[in-house]
Amino acid sequence: MVIVRRKELSLREKLYLPEIARGLSITFRKLFEKKITRQYPEEPLPTNEVTRGQPRLVVKDDGNIACVSCGMCEIACPAYAITIDGGETDRTIEREPVRFDIDMLRCILCGFCEEACPKDAIFMSNELELADYTRSALVYDINKLKRPKSALQKRIDYVYRLNNRWRKSSSTR
Amino acid sequence: MTPMLWNVLIWFVKCNVIYGGLLGTAAGMTLAERKVSAWMQYRHGPNRVGPWGLLQPIADGVKFFFKESLTPDGANKWLFRFAPAVAAIPAMLTIAVIPFGPAIPLPFGPFESTNFGVTDLDIGLMYLLSIGGLAIYGVILGGWASNSKFSLLGGLRASAQMISYELTLILSILAVVAISGTLSLRGVVEAQPDFFEWNIFHQPLAFILFSIAAFAETNRHPFDFAECEPELVSGFHTEYSSMRFALFALGEYCAMVVMACLWTTLFLGGYKVPFWADAPWYFCVVAFLAKTSLFLFLYLWVRWTLPRFRFDQLMGLGWKVFLPLALANLFLTGAAVSFGVDLW
Repeated sequence: MVIVRRKELSLREKLYLPEIARGLSITFRKLFEKKITRQYPEEPLPTNEVTRGQPRLVVKDDGNIACVSCGMCEIACPAYAITIDGGETDRTIEREPVRFDIDMLRCILCGFCEEACPKDAIFMSNELELADYTRSALVYDINKLKRPKSALQKRIDYVYRLNNRWRKSSSTR
Repeated sequence: MTPMLWNVLIWFVKCNVIYGGLLGTAAGMTLAERKVSAWMQYRHGPNRVGPWGLLQPIADGVKFFFKESLTPDGANKWLFRFAPAVAAIPAMLTIAVIPFGPAIPLPFGPFESTNFGVTDLDIGLMYLLSIGGLAIYGVILGGWASNSKFSLLGGLRASAQMISYELTLILSILAVVAISGTLSLRGVVEAQPDFFEWNIFHQPLAFILFSIAAFAETNRHPFDFAECEPELVSGFHTEYSSMRFALFALGEYCAMVVMACLWTTLFLGGYKVPFWADAPWYFCVVAFLAKTSLFLFLYLWVRWTLPRFRFDQLMGLGWKVFLPLALANLFLTGAAVSFGVDLW
């Protein structure tokens, strides 16, 4: 059995008004304190290289994408978001994708494609915003997925560091 | 133009200014409420519509107009549609007797000056209290006609609460009337010419009682049992939507504005500027508005500070504490006035 004894109120507390004034003074001070709401579209969340945003295709410095349409990412993708059709090319790598679609509505941003890629062609960017008026507009094709290498450099460095973390030197780059 | 036409013109302009001001203030209060609540909770509040969100009330109004207006099955259709108007109109009528400023000199026309205020009845206070008391009919009718348990309970609570607290309100006002010797609101203001003559110093107890009863009378926190959302969904306006709901809100905010004006007039010297007896009329109006906004801010400030009472606590407080205090205060004041004793 628990006996709860109420605290005897002092006269000051029984009169209400002084305590109300005390409460009011607290809320009045709060009026001028710093706001903690983030004004989202103007003030986006800070991102860094660990941020796993939407996957993007790296465009190398020579202007071509690194992808050879091997299909590893397509198989690795747990949400079946990636569709690749391969084709031939005159470049020395001989194969390149003629179609590389990622359905952003299916993508779960897990980063498996980035892990699976043997050619360092696909990386998770820090782009997080995803909104459009139709479902078809959110199936991104190869042109929408292309990003210059410089835009993804920090993530690329981070992934290299992560993958080579057990080696004595990170000379494989 | 004949003097009568001039009279009509002056009256027309005054009505438009005052009623426009009332509705504008009521709309502004909806924004102020959200802003103040936000600031007290480390938030920004509405800031997307117009600069600093100042156009938010207009956006709200447009939205209300475009919403579907539902009438529930089994509701008493005519009373259901009638109630919001009954709730909104009395507050708008009562503003007519509030004196906003002293005589304004007119540069042209047959009249030298006109009083800033729609009218100045000899029984202004009685008019204000009796018309203001009608607002409760809107709440009760709305609650009853909705054919909903929550609405009905909200309406019942509102009626019990408003009748209980109207006593305290009127008794505290009567003490002021006793020392002013008039029921005209302009007369009450003129009876407190100097800063230290303000009724807040003559009648501190009546001032406190009036301030608290004003919260209960306008159904505001911490006494808003008519729409106690944790128990009654939204109380008497649970079933209302669209502009009918907005009318209830408008009525509530207008009643708040009128109550703040009355508070200023009765206790804070109305339009008198402290320590400046012959201030020009525009300073007087500014002083009135400043004092009124003080009380309007108090409404919001208290709302976002105190939790709601329990209904039995509210009734106990009203009948066991406030009513005896108000009666004793009135008795003392009456005795002092009739025997010519200056209590101050």
